[in-house]
Formats: sequence, structure tokens, C-alpha cells
Amino acid sequence: MRNAIAIFLKEVRIYFTTPVAYVAFTVFTIVSSFLFLRLLGSFQRNVLLHTQRNPGLLKYMNFTDQVLGPLIHNIAVVLVFIVPFISMRLIAEERRSGSYELLMSNPVTPAQITFGKYLSALLVLATMMLLVLVYPLLVSAYAEVGHVAWETVLSGLLGLFLMGAAFVAIGLFFSAVTRSQIVAAALTFCTLLMLWMVGWAAVDNTGLTREVLNGLSAIEHIRNFTVGRLDLRDLVYYASWMVFGLFLTHRALEAQRWR
Amino acid sequence: MIEVRELEKRYHKLVAVAGISFKVDRGEVLGFLGPNGAGKTTTMRILTGALPATSGRVEVAGFNVFDRPLEVKRRVGYLPETPPLYNDLDTLGYLRFAGRIKGLRGRRLRAALQRSIDACGIGEVTGRLLGNLSKGFRQRVGLAQALLGEPEVLVLDEPTIGLDPNQIQEIRRLIHELAADRTVVLSTHILPEVVQICSRVVIIHRGRIVADDSLQNLTSDSRSLEQTFHDLTQQ
Repeated sequence: MRNAIAIFLKEVRIYFTTPVAYVAFTVFTIVSSFLFLRLLGSFQRNVLLHTQRNPGLLKYMNFTDQVLGPLIHNIAVVLVFIVPFISMRLIAEERRSGSYELLMSNPVTPAQITFGKYLSALLVLATMMLLVLVYPLLVSAYAEVGHVAWETVLSGLLGLFLMGAAFVAIGLFFSAVTRSQIVAAALTFCTLLMLWMVGWAAVDNTGLTREVLNGLSAIEHIRNFTVGRLDLRDLVYYASWMVFGLFLTHRALEAQRWR
Repeated sequence: MIEVRELEKRYHKLVAVAGISFKVDRGEVLGFLGPNGAGKTTTMRILTGALPATSGRVEVAGFNVFDRPLEVKRRVGYLPETPPLYNDLDTLGYLRFAGRIKGLRGRRLRAALQRSIDACGIGEVTGRLLGNLSKGFRQRVGLAQALLGEPEVLVLDEPTIGLDPNQIQEIRRLIHELAADRTVVLSTHILPEVVQICSRVVIIHRGRIVADDSLQNLTSDSRSLEQTFHDLTQQ
């Protein structure tokens, strides 16, 4: 455990001395802010529309459900693009530069390497969740009417974090099987893209096929979280990917010791 | 202290080490020589537990490298051919990390860091990023890492490569001092270095041992070590 913490601290240090974390935060914030402003704009238009034509509907206009929920749902797609960038260097870079030899010749186990590195990427991910928190905070600070349903927002962020954590586990595995960061990122991106797009295929199908395809889609599983509903199925879905990714990473590192 | 028996390593069809056996006693400084590609680095990596062998037995400090790799790694300090540095860490941060994964904490860690930094003369670069250091400093930081925690066995793969003549002298003196109470395996291409600091020499060629003797015997009959090396590794 102590070794895992040492590796965690080292990785965090590298994330924040190189531009990696800052670039991820910047890109993430720019895209999220754009999405937020779009959703906010369309919400405002709807409010204006209803005040003129149908004032009775106004009391059904809910800021959290119409702006923040969709925002988190959209940011989930942004993570498909950003997570490969965060996870690609974790192990691939060490193997390319030769610093991996340090880990191999010291009393460190593959499990400690896996956990230490995974946790460091989760810290970067958690920081991004805090950045998302800025939008509801801004709204609750400046909105003259209405309020933010914090339970729903936090549940949405939890879902977003769990999904990101599942993505990072997948990215960590691909970083463990190649020396090239580009290859690691490409394979991760491709996998995450499939996990997103499989939901599109669901639309064309009915019955069981539709259920299965939806069940496979990483983005679909965040829907419940964004409306403040914690469903065991969603938790199990993300936890499965995390365990699966970490297990494969551990196997890959273990196998390399014997090559 | 180190016992290697019938060690063999293949990379697919390529045989890197073809069944070598040798022993190193406590307090001995073994010069591990051979032409490029002879299998030196492969053997040294196996000794440290960084690489598994195809077959054979290796015991370090009484522990089998294949059954108890963690016990061996705890007792061995290893400087690979290219120092295993993180270019994005500063020297002190790097050494602190290396110390932590060697199991050093708190006061012991601080003391070990200080000793290593002083011994390798890298006090002036502790705050600099490793990626910005010159070759000589990188080599010395790598060596400082291997010395952390005073391991019983030191495995040094070309430790003086990239150093200037003054630094080479310092490092040789350092290795000489260290050898008093520990075992050192050292590979190098600089034969005068071997004459200065090694008590015994193993020469390997194409994965096989072609000489295993004391330095005196190899350099007797007024033959220089160069000549012996040349004769043994030409066929």
C-alpha cells in the first residue's frame, strides 16, 4: 500500500509538472462552458416563450433538469475524448523512456503499480468534476428566481466520475500493452467511442436487442444519475468496467515480467 | 553472495545467455566484461530480478531470484545501462520516490538521501528537472538511486559512461570505498577501470563465459588485460 501511495504521489507530481493536466483542464473547461452556455441560452428562450404564450407552463420549467442534467450528459461525451489523453502516458511512457526499469528492479508489485497509477488519474478526473461544479455555483449565485437542486447535481457528478473512472481503467490497460502513447490513446479512444456509439445502434432496434445495446452503452448509464436516480444497474455497469480494466492491466504487467 | 548456475536466456530464437555459471563472494568487486551484445546487460538484469531467465538458477544474498524476487530486489541496488530517470521530476523528488519504493521512510529516508547525494556529488542539482541535466549528472543521479538504502549488492551497468575524467576518478574511488563491505558486479568497456577496482573478472562472449579468474591470473605473463580480452573474444 505504501508503495502504491509513493507511485500515486510521483504520478500526480508528473501530471502537474508537465502540461498534461493543465491542457486537459483547459480543453475540458472550454468545451463544457460552450455546452453550458448553449443549454442556458435555449432554457432562457423557452422561458421567454412561455411567459408570452403560456405562463402556466412556467412553474414546470426546472433549471436543474433542463440545463444541468443535459449538461452532465453532454460532458460525458467530452470525457470520451479527454480520458485517452489523460491515461495514455501512465505506463507506456515509462516503458519507452526506460524508467520502468526502476520499478522492475525494486520491491514493487504489479498491483501497486496498477493502483498507484490508477489513483493518480482519478485525482485528475476528480479535479475536472470540481470544475463542472462551477456552473451550478454560478447559477445559484446569480439566479434571481429558482434554485439549483443540489442532490440531483451531485448525483449527476457522481455518475460522471464513475463513468470517467471506468474509462480511465480502460485507458490504463491500453497504456500497459504498448510503448507508444499514441497507440495507447488511439486504442482507448476507439474503445470509448464504441461504448458511446453502441447506444446509437439501439435506436434502430426494438425489444431485447434494444435493451442489450442500451445496456452496453456507457453514456446511457449516466441518464439515471443526471435525474438524481441511483440505480444499482448503473453502478454495477461502471464498477464492472473498472474491475475489468484494472484486472487486465494487472495481468498485462504481470505478463511482461515473464517475457 | 551471488550464485549463478546454468543461466540461460532466449529472446524467441535468439540466445542471449547460453548457460553461464559463476559465483561472487561477499566483498568482492567483479568486473563483468565482454564485447557489445555478449549478454552482459541481460545477465545483470536477471541478477536484479528485472528480467526473468529462460532457465537456470540465480541466488542473491541467499534468496532465489525467481521464487523470492522482492527479497532480492530489497537487497540489490541496480544502475541500468541508461539511468532509469523520470525527466519530468526534479532530482530530489526522483530520489525521494526511489527511496520510498525501496521501503525507506521519514528520518531514514532523509539520511539515505543526504548520504547518496553527497557521495555522488549531485548537491548542486537537487532542484533541477532531470530532463535538463547533462549526461554526467544523469549518470550520477542514477548511481545515487542505486546506492539508496545501502544495499548489500550493487549491480552497475557501465557506471562511468558519459562522465568526464575527473568524475570517472571520483566514481571509481566511490565504488572502491563501497566495495569494502558489500558485493559489486560491474560491467564496463574501460579495461583500465577493471584493473583499478576489480578483484575478479568474468569475461563473456556470445552468451558464454570465456574467462573467470582473478585479475592477477588474467594479467600474468606480462600480458595486459587488453590482450587477454582481445584473444578471448575474437573467435
